[in-house]
This record gives sequence, C-alpha cells and structure tokens, in this order.
Amino acid sequence: MSEFSKALSMTSAGLAAQTARLRHLSENIANAATPGYRRKTVPFEQVQSRMGGPAQIAAGRVKLDQRPLERIFDPGHPLADDTGHFDGSNVDLMIELADAREAQRTYEANIKMFDQTRQMSASLMELLRK
Amino acid sequence: MDIQNLTAAQNYASARPATAPVDTSAGAALQNGMRDFAQTLRQGEEAAMAAMTSQSDPHALVQALSQAELAVETAVTVRNRVVEAYQEILRMPV
Repeated sequence: MSEFSKALSMTSAGLAAQTARLRHLSENIANAATPGYRRKTVPFEQVQSRMGGPAQIAAGRVKLDQRPLERIFDPGHPLADDTGHFDGSNVDLMIELADAREAQRTYEANIKMFDQTRQMSASLMELLRK
Repeated sequence: MDIQNLTAAQNYASARPATAPVDTSAGAALQNGMRDFAQTLRQGEEAAMAAMTSQSDPHALVQALSQAELAVETAVTVRNRVVEAYQEILRMPV
C-alpha cells in the first residue's frame, strides 16, 4: 500500500466520521421539541485499520448529554406534573447548528485533502509520460 | 575462407549469451504487483456494486474508485514506458 493509498483511505475515513456526526446532529435537531430527549454527542476515536495501515479516525459510541433537561411550564400538557411543569429536551439549537457548521468545514477540508492527494499522484505519473 | 567462417561462428557463439534473457527476481515482483493491481480493481468493482445496492456508504465507493484510478494510472504509465523501451530496442540499427 503506497502512501497515496494510505492518505486516500485515511481521508475517506474522516469523511465517513463527519457524516456520522452530522447524522446525530440532525437527530438532535429533529428531536429538539421531544419531551425527555437528551442530546446525543459523538466522540471521535482512532481505530487501527484491518490491513495493518495507520490508525484511522472513526465515530465512537454515542453518548447522551447528562445536562439537566429543560423544565417547561405548561399546565395543560398531558405530561405536566403537580406544579404544571414537564421535562423538555436539553437540545440547544445554537450549539447543534454551530456543531453542524464545524462538521461541514471539516468535511470540506477532508475533500480538499482527497483532491490534493489525487492531484499529487497524477502529477507524479505525469513525470513518466514525457 | 573456411577458417574465417569458423571464427565468425565462434565469435557469434561467445557473444550470444549476452542476448539471452536474464533470470532475475524482477519477474516475481512484477507478478506480485500485477496481482495487487487486479485485486485493487476487483475491490473497486465490489464497492461500486455494494454502493449501488445501498449496502455500503458512498465514501467507500469513492475511496475504492480512487484507489483503482491510482492503480490504473500507475499501471498504464509503467506499461507505456515498457512498450516505449521495447520499440526503442526494435528500432536499433543492427
């Protein structure tokens, strides 16, 4: 496996990890109004690839954010307790959107690296074509 | 006259081994490389099929196809060089 191949597989692992992150972010945003929903966070970790290559990035096990849920006052709600409150979700849309933007930026950076690797290998082969 | 022919034949016989193919380990290495190349192409095809039937994510497809592209480009360039060298030898005035 050449260094170019390694760089390509590393980059595509990064792309896949960012996609997994984006999936959980969209899940959080979709469930922003779900009562009792805790937002999911995706830790990234390094994984040894099967073919003995360099360690690649991958999205690890999903964790639930343990911040307290938002208490919403709505006495007419079926989930409301004696005080008229019920547990909302602890999703903060601002954080989710900022996270999504960061995922997009990292994705773009990985795409750029992918393209750069291909260009470098192509120009290397161009040397022999003279 | 006869003796001249004889020495010419002898000279030819002594120079002949220079043109014999040399058995080196390059053949085995080349074979290994070609096997690697074929395997990379096969992986690309498998990834394409898996992505079309939505069994794998598109990243795997893009990665496998890029690997295949890299391999094909390398193989084609090396082949072109080899063919060029062969033609150069064929054109050599004898």
